[in-house]
Amino acid sequence: MTGLAGPGNASPHAKARMLALLQQAADRGGTIAAVPCPQSQFGYTYQTVSNDIENDLAYLTKRNYLEARFCDRVSLCPKCGTRHINVREVCPSCRSAYVTSEGLLHHFRCGYVGIPSEFLPLADGGYKCPKCSRTLRHPGTEFDRLGRAFVCRGCGVISENPPVEALCLSCGAKTPSENLVSTVLFNYVLTSRGAAAVRAGSLLDDAEEPSIEDAPILRRTVILEFLEYELKRLQQLNGRFSLILAQYASSASDAKSAENRPQWLTRIRGCLREVDLLGHLADELYIVMLPQMKAREAEALRRRIEATLGAQSPFTLSVVQITKRDDLAKALAGLGETSGF
Amino acid sequence: MDGFLKYFWSTMDPMSNIGFSRAIPDLMWSALPSWWLLVVLPFVLGVLPAIVVWVVYIFRRSWISPSLPAIPPQAAPMVSVVIAGRNESETIGRCIRGALLCGYPNLEVVFVDDNSQDDSVAIARRAALAVTGSARDSDRVRIFPSPRRNGKPSSLNIGIRMARGQFIAIVDADTILQYGSVQHWLMPFNDPAVGAVAANIRVNNSTATLLTRFEEIEYALKTTNKIVQAHYNLLFIISGMGGIFRAEILRRLGGFDTGLGDDRDLTMMIRKQRWKLAFSLGAVVWTTCPETYSHLWKQRARWRRNVVKICFSKHRDQFILGRYGFSNAVLTLSVLFARILVPLAIMAALLWALSDDGPLRSPEILTRLYWIVVFYIMIRMLIARDITGSPTPLNFWLAPLFPFYMLFVVGLSQMYAEITELFRIGAKHPYVPDHIWEEIPWW
Repeated sequence: MTGLAGPGNASPHAKARMLALLQQAADRGGTIAAVPCPQSQFGYTYQTVSNDIENDLAYLTKRNYLEARFCDRVSLCPKCGTRHINVREVCPSCRSAYVTSEGLLHHFRCGYVGIPSEFLPLADGGYKCPKCSRTLRHPGTEFDRLGRAFVCRGCGVISENPPVEALCLSCGAKTPSENLVSTVLFNYVLTSRGAAAVRAGSLLDDAEEPSIEDAPILRRTVILEFLEYELKRLQQLNGRFSLILAQYASSASDAKSAENRPQWLTRIRGCLREVDLLGHLADELYIVMLPQMKAREAEALRRRIEATLGAQSPFTLSVVQITKRDDLAKALAGLGETSGF
Repeated sequence: MDGFLKYFWSTMDPMSNIGFSRAIPDLMWSALPSWWLLVVLPFVLGVLPAIVVWVVYIFRRSWISPSLPAIPPQAAPMVSVVIAGRNESETIGRCIRGALLCGYPNLEVVFVDDNSQDDSVAIARRAALAVTGSARDSDRVRIFPSPRRNGKPSSLNIGIRMARGQFIAIVDADTILQYGSVQHWLMPFNDPAVGAVAANIRVNNSTATLLTRFEEIEYALKTTNKIVQAHYNLLFIISGMGGIFRAEILRRLGGFDTGLGDDRDLTMMIRKQRWKLAFSLGAVVWTTCPETYSHLWKQRARWRRNVVKICFSKHRDQFILGRYGFSNAVLTLSVLFARILVPLAIMAALLWALSDDGPLRSPEILTRLYWIVVFYIMIRMLIARDITGSPTPLNFWLAPLFPFYMLFVVGLSQMYAEITELFRIGAKHPYVPDHIWEEIPWW
């Protein structure tokens, strides 16, 4: 993968490349299919103009431009990562792959059990029992075959369910089958969003995403729209709603805390009702909108959130009850936020 | 009845017992047949050997329970534990785990499932997975699910054919190997003439029901007998619950014959090849005994039918004295003596004693004889407890009832089995499926 600094902020070059990928999918009937290719690392390849498109496909799938559909699961050598492996049963004792599948013969009369080569074959197609020297001619009444067993031609060990081992033809590593690395391959189908991007000639801007990646938070534009809608509803119906304003502590805004911020926000989100909304208003200011909730109830919720976050919480929480547009304007102004309310 | 009760309780009277003990010297020199048959003979056959073993155990413990030599793991010979079972889902998991975790470094388990209708195979694989980390066959566990029911002897033959070890231990699916038992089990093989070693069978569910308590006492009393029998190479069975064999012997014999009780038949075949049989006190194998009367009856009847079928029909040539060596000749005579002559003699003595002129018409003599038997049992129980740790003290109170268990539970089932076998009533072995039964010879 080249040209992508991170999942959330693709470079223009990368965006152009991914758009080309979407265009190719559209040209091929809306599908980017994995096709068998013995020479490739995974045994499959995507018939596209460019190579190394796995990261681009993952990026586009994550943002709903493409839909991944299962194609196959490929086992790989855990040592070198190639799929050029020879999988076969091996002897549980000496680990030799020289094992043959044979059915054990069981002579009913004397109870002798052995592999067919131990019984002397007769000209009429029967056998002679090595234990009692009687002839075995009628399978089912005189003798039968006891299912399937693998016999090691090296050490003679008999096993019904021998271990399976993979020999890597590239690096020579021997790996038990249960330790093989497997990877899932997908076919990719263009979604309506992907088709829209192809028609528009560009990927949709990140700002158009309703929520911030990796955290359950609405973007500023979205939460402001919801606030505006709630204020209009307030004026019409004479109701109320409450807000919890969450100020992220400046001292905690170092790089490490910034990494943890989505986790803190996820914990806050976990304390809320489904109808409540959590939004990012400014760099270090978050807002929780609590429709139809009185200040007393909001205060109880605030205490519960604080208890959930614990003493190490980087957030300072405050509750505001909104009964008219001015209440919201005052509350935000107090935090230095001017949103035009 | 009043008379019996009176004398029954009179044994609590010290003066009465003193009087009886004073009469013993007179009885010793008397020619009273009931005295010799009902008191002296059981003492010589049952109590005296136990006392001798106990004395040896006290003064020369290493003769009976030798300490283990230090064997490096690299020098440990490979042991294959072969288990065959059908519908053993309740016990097979712990059986396999017990074998794998018994502390012996060079051991494999081969489990042959005889076409079970339950989930025995899945449980066995799960047990293997828990210990070896793989549900597939490995160098420590191999599982063979038979696609058709073949009977226990054939299933064991599959296991023997699959086994890799120099020694093959055959255990039932409801047994558990005690930690460290395999090392003890192998010790008698230092003698190259020893072909098989019997384990010390202990009862796992000894407090489950009244019957299993009796069974624990019975197994414990047999242990001291086995020590004596093994010393004189007179063991006549390596139990299928726990026996270990030189693999070469089993392979040369082609395994078990079908249609018979597997363990006794195999023992006879090994004896005929002039191998010595040994017993290991330290090789403890815990077994689960029947808990209900019907189950116990079926088990004992099956065992006794096998005795008749194997000893007196299939291997009747053992009675040709000298054909199979001195110890086999002695064993044959002892089988004749213990299985036929002694029961007949005791039966005759009892009939005479209970006749109008007999002494047992006297309640006093009968109750005294009863207490003597209980006394014998108590002595043997104490000795067995001291040597083997079994029976548990909780079961000692059953000693006065033990004669009735042996007479009415074990004795009756054995008598029933002998009669039905002699007249060949319902002769088909329950462990052998029809398609095999139709092929095997009629022993």
